Amino acid sequence: METILQTLINGLLAAGVYALVASGLALAVGVVGIVNFAHGEFLMLGAFVSYFLFAAQGLDPLIALGVAAIAVFVAGAISYYGLIRPVLAAPELNQMLLTFGLSIALQNLALLLFGADTRVVSPPYQGSTISLLGLSFGVVPFASFVLSVALLGGLYWFLGRTRLGFAVRAVAQNRLAPGLLGIETQRIYLIAFGLSAALAGIAGVMLSVMLYASPTIGFAYTLKAFAIIVMAGLGNLRGVIPAAIVLAMAEAFVSTYVPGGGGWVEAVFFLVIFVSLTYRSWRFR
Amino acid sequence: MILAGVLLLLALILPALPLGSWQAFALDTAQFAFLLSGLALSWDLLARTGQLSLAHGAFFGLGAYTAALTAPLIGTLPSLLAGAAVAAVGSFLLGLATLRLHGMYFAIATLAFSEVMRTFVLKAGFTGGSIGMIVAPPFDGRFPLGGYYLAVTVLGLCVLVSYLVSRSRFSYAMAAIRQGEPVARVLGVPVVRVKLLAFLLSSALAGLAGGVYGMKTLFLSPYDAFSLGRAVEALVIPIFGGLYTTTGPLVGGLLLVSLETWLRLRIGEGYLVVYGVLLILAILFLPRGLVGWLSRRRGGGHA
Repeated sequence: METILQTLINGLLAAGVYALVASGLALAVGVVGIVNFAHGEFLMLGAFVSYFLFAAQGLDPLIALGVAAIAVFVAGAISYYGLIRPVLAAPELNQMLLTFGLSIALQNLALLLFGADTRVVSPPYQGSTISLLGLSFGVVPFASFVLSVALLGGLYWFLGRTRLGFAVRAVAQNRLAPGLLGIETQRIYLIAFGLSAALAGIAGVMLSVMLYASPTIGFAYTLKAFAIIVMAGLGNLRGVIPAAIVLAMAEAFVSTYVPGGGGWVEAVFFLVIFVSLTYRSWRFR
Repeated sequence: MILAGVLLLLALILPALPLGSWQAFALDTAQFAFLLSGLALSWDLLARTGQLSLAHGAFFGLGAYTAALTAPLIGTLPSLLAGAAVAAVGSFLLGLATLRLHGMYFAIATLAFSEVMRTFVLKAGFTGGSIGMIVAPPFDGRFPLGGYYLAVTVLGLCVLVSYLVSRSRFSYAMAAIRQGEPVARVLGVPVVRVKLLAFLLSSALAGLAGGVYGMKTLFLSPYDAFSLGRAVEALVIPIFGGLYTTTGPLVGGLLLVSLETWLRLRIGEGYLVVYGVLLILAILFLPRGLVGWLSRRRGGGHA
């Protein structure tokens, strides 16, 4: 009984970061209409920003969060301006190839610059745990979860209550009409893509404490984020949170209950993708 | 096609050329170049339907592992065919679940598939896991050049299939799907069937090339056979060379693999950064690839 509860909590805590990364990707897919294979690389950038700020300045990850969000927002905006914008009208194949190329380039550039080692940001509170009713969980995962929930709340507020948020949703629904109504479509795309990257970057900062920063860390999260948004329906922001919970729970249960589960966790996301695609494919036949 | 013929002829007589101490290196590089060009041609075959496969590295690896595992039991040639068959079965299952859906679902699923195949081979017992496995040379090592000629044969086969497909009615169906699926459907093209057939053919060729690759390196590990790098090569080569053509992947393959051999010596790990940048530049500035650019320039010169 206790194991089940502990597994549920582990799953729930992991779901927060997953939802954060996947919401960013859903924004890129849903608003800009770009399947961004480089999404995880923005996460990797965030993780390295956090690491280098900590290593050089001893800056707490909580403060690095803000710096990384801005830095990665700018990186995302530059990528949008220089790379994505020219192919917005191109065939989908070209768009996907472009972001895939960006992913490969960034990942291997990081490999060349920083090497393949994993680097951990270890503030004093990294190892501390909270015990509650016989269950224990780390301070860092818990804080990340709370922060993720708050940020997601902020994102929903932004999209649902502000004028700019309305504009973003309008552009997502129709590419032409918002322009006629005086919304600067290009600016909205830029903001949405930057925001998408920034969300991944923030998740990267959290992961630099919870896991580590490494050149290849982003790729695994690209795949997990894809699994989540495929389950939710591409570009559907509302479905992201339940889908993230499903994926995180499934992973938590596999790692607890499947013998030798550690490695098989890496296969759960594929099962999720495969099952939801098969379901979708038979339903829309 | 003339170019392909000349290259093939050159490939056949390469072992007989008096290259002295360079010969072993030239043959090695050539063999890799042939196999990767074959892989690139197979990727291009599917790309003609507008589908982006990121799993060709996995089909390559599936072919390599299957051939390596079955070769001691059934002999070299049947084991290569078995490798192609297993890759084709994998693609069939993947295609059945995804090819009815929008193109981006397919790309995502193939990327996930290639990651999961690596996990599977790492965890499964009979593949040697992360340690890797030793592969027997082709034909029990009776012919020193056996592997080389197998690679030439595979490349020849890929060129032939690619050429025949581009000359057949099938290619019109593929182009129609690529340019607009709803329109193709209205025109009476069996969209899912054509995509599935292209996927099967493409992955079988990739598996075949993988099988020969394993017999060349004599050693397979999940990190090598199922690396994302293979999938990257499979798609950068045709895009750089020229999409939807037979000469494009061929020329691109020979050029890029030579470049890669040099880069690996210079910077080792991380050489893929060049592929990533090349991919971005080709998409932005060279949408018809090297071959398309050259032919347009030549055409412009006459006009």
